Amino acid sequence: MELEDIVSKYPPKQIMLVPIAIIILALISLGATYLATGSPVKLGIEFTGGTLVTVPSTESEEKVAGQFDSYPLVDIRNIGGRYMLQFGPMSESQYAEIVKLANANFDSPEIRHIGPIYSKELQEQVVRYLPLSFLLMAIVVFLVFREPIVSLLIVISALADILTAAASMNLTGVQLSLGTVAALLMLIGYSVDTDILLSMRVLKRKGAVEEKIVGAMGTGLTMAGTSICAVISLIIVSNFLYLIVPSFTRMDIIADMSAVLIFGLAADIFNTWVTNAQGLRWYLNKPKKTARGQRR
Amino acid sequence: MSLFEELSKDRRVVLYAVFVALAIISIGFFGLKFGLDLEGGSYLQLQLQGAEAQIDVSPEKILEMQFNASSVEKHGQSYVVTVPGVVDSAFADDLGYIGSKIAKGDNSTKITIIAAPETIITNYLKKNLDADVQLNVAVAPVRYEIRTNVTRESLDALLAPVGGRVPAGEDAFVMGVSKETVDETKKVLDSKLNRLGLQDIKVRVVDNKYILIDLAGMDVATAQEVVGKPGKFEIRIQTENNESMHVLYGDAVETVDIPQGERNGGWGVPFVLSEEGAMTFQKAAIDTGATKRPEDHYISMYLDKDEIFSAPLAPELASSLQKVPSRSMQATVGGGDAGSTKAKELYIHLREGALPVNVEVVGSGQVSAALGRQFKLQMVIAGLIALLAVAGMIFYRYRERRIVLPMVTTSFSEVIMMLGVWAVAGWQLDLASLAGIIMVIGTGVDQLVIITDELMKGGEATASVAERSIKERAAEAAEKASAGKTVATSSKVYLARLSRAFLIILGAAATTTVAMLPLLAMGFGSLTGFALIIILGVILGTFIARPAYGRIIGHILATD
Repeated sequence: MELEDIVSKYPPKQIMLVPIAIIILALISLGATYLATGSPVKLGIEFTGGTLVTVPSTESEEKVAGQFDSYPLVDIRNIGGRYMLQFGPMSESQYAEIVKLANANFDSPEIRHIGPIYSKELQEQVVRYLPLSFLLMAIVVFLVFREPIVSLLIVISALADILTAAASMNLTGVQLSLGTVAALLMLIGYSVDTDILLSMRVLKRKGAVEEKIVGAMGTGLTMAGTSICAVISLIIVSNFLYLIVPSFTRMDIIADMSAVLIFGLAADIFNTWVTNAQGLRWYLNKPKKTARGQRR
Repeated sequence: MSLFEELSKDRRVVLYAVFVALAIISIGFFGLKFGLDLEGGSYLQLQLQGAEAQIDVSPEKILEMQFNASSVEKHGQSYVVTVPGVVDSAFADDLGYIGSKIAKGDNSTKITIIAAPETIITNYLKKNLDADVQLNVAVAPVRYEIRTNVTRESLDALLAPVGGRVPAGEDAFVMGVSKETVDETKKVLDSKLNRLGLQDIKVRVVDNKYILIDLAGMDVATAQEVVGKPGKFEIRIQTENNESMHVLYGDAVETVDIPQGERNGGWGVPFVLSEEGAMTFQKAAIDTGATKRPEDHYISMYLDKDEIFSAPLAPELASSLQKVPSRSMQATVGGGDAGSTKAKELYIHLREGALPVNVEVVGSGQVSAALGRQFKLQMVIAGLIALLAVAGMIFYRYRERRIVLPMVTTSFSEVIMMLGVWAVAGWQLDLASLAGIIMVIGTGVDQLVIITDELMKGGEATASVAERSIKERAAEAAEKASAGKTVATSSKVYLARLSRAFLIILGAAATTTVAMLPLLAMGFGSLTGFALIIILGVILGTFIARPAYGRIIGHILATD
């Protein structure tokens, strides 16, 4: 396995340049988006406020859009037998009109309306709770290991996962929604699992660090593999099934969640077996009075 | 001993089996409830407008400004306000100090007001905000609950003329109203929706500030009409020309009867005023002259400042009001079908007039039942694909059916247990929760992989003897020494390995749980299901399914 070679053959400091470069690139992507839009990731309708109307229709996009052209229509997308129309901010009475129009002209439309108070509150919540979630995770990691450097390596790997997942959102156009926030929070908690496995194995067993890392890798990659299997099944069903079976429909919230999860989990494989593992190699092989790995 | 006999004696395996059985029974007995996004219907998110604030102001200053007084003195329980010139009691009444004593002097008047300082402050806020203000004495220092949309700045500006302010500090100004007020509002909404005969209504309170209402089988326009309208009910009476004055709020309306059919040429809604309300009404009618010339003094009803009813006093009522107050009233609207519809609407408005706070619709939406069914089906398909894919992954790694089968079975049983908990609790499964379950299928297996790898001898994970801990090797040596004991599951080696696996699993479980905790508090409850599923998946798996799996797989591996 190529990854195994990387883990054991090259000097850690050299390999570490790759994750550092990736983190920097992610930060640049997030920073550029921040400068352009005022937030590090593109905000979805739940955070900007607005109205989303999804109507089943076999008519052309122009025809459907035409029915709503007296309202602030921002975007229209075909999602397999259904059109998703996004509207910008509008008055209460305009919203009421759109609701009446959609219900009168289409069979069972799906409507979501997010007012400015709601979206503002939600933004505040994310700013408050996303770091809190990360902090709580970090505290647990420190409590479990009680080794500052080892714990720090895990936390850094997790941070790299989240940054990469967030930057991937920008690259692929996935917007921040309640679903993607949930996915990010789940990544915060879950992405450290393989790091914990790796660090436990390396700290609590005897032998060369490299051997122990490769040993933990079999377990860790299977863990990541099963999770990725679950995410891929979500991606298939939410994104692609409707292309094959016309009666099915795209599920936005699931599609967004699974996109973030797949990026995060892919980043996690890299960050666990490169970032964290190399960090451990560098730290534990450093000449010092007591070798930490053998203390216990 | 057979595998079954051996396992049936293990406490953890039995516990696990009992849980799975209970879960299956619960699902069958209670059934699963699905969220609005899977069942179809509409939802409304209402914000209760209001804030609780401490107020730093001297009541004397307020009285001085309100009365334009030359001096204000506090004597025990009362304030003595000296006003230049001669005024009568109506002056104090108008300012909201009813029952004050007036002592007229030569060129000044002494008004004695019996009121607590808080009453004067409340009164001032009420007058200037044109909203209800309640005193909350449950906290110290006391807070004033202002039941309308205010900010710290607007309140400070309001208090500046009387030299007051909201004290500095986070605690001094809190957006949102008290829990009691929220509960009261929720109750009013609950009863309103129930009275309309709507089934499956779920009114939930989030953050003590938002009320979320799910209405099954209804489009959002109708839902908004039914729910979005409640507000403050007020009765006003026409004074001169187009001017009108306040008479009563909804709280003076004691009971409302169902609309009465075509009598006296129109539909009507009978209602009863409180005794105090009836006297106030009579006084207003006499004062304005409505009892003498009803057609010049229309009685109007307002809901959130929108006129919902306006008509002159009925002649009989007008003449009787001249002599005695009347508690029984009827608001008469037009005849025919239009009248009937109007009467029904008025009935709801009258009943709900006393909604304690103003609300604003901050979000709403609808999902069709057909789409919901499709989502459900698609998620079931996703679950099956996930199980198969995970099984494939496991098989790719271990290449042994005797490991794959218990692993996938355990993972599936975890899903059953979660659904069982949901059935017992009566919680709703929404789209996000179903996604959570599918993620648990993928992540739950992780811990089983850790256990299996720790237990398996000669596997990748324990490639060399050097890798294993001293404790473990000592245990193995001890085992070799005691001849005859060959069943490895009862040996110390397995227990040592199991305990090491659980250290990793517990650490991993703890991080996942704490990272999901904030999700319980955010998103107005829409992600609570997802967070709970993930957390519950971790807990059930760590404390019930995995210990049992550890034993079962141990036995299976030992029967080589």
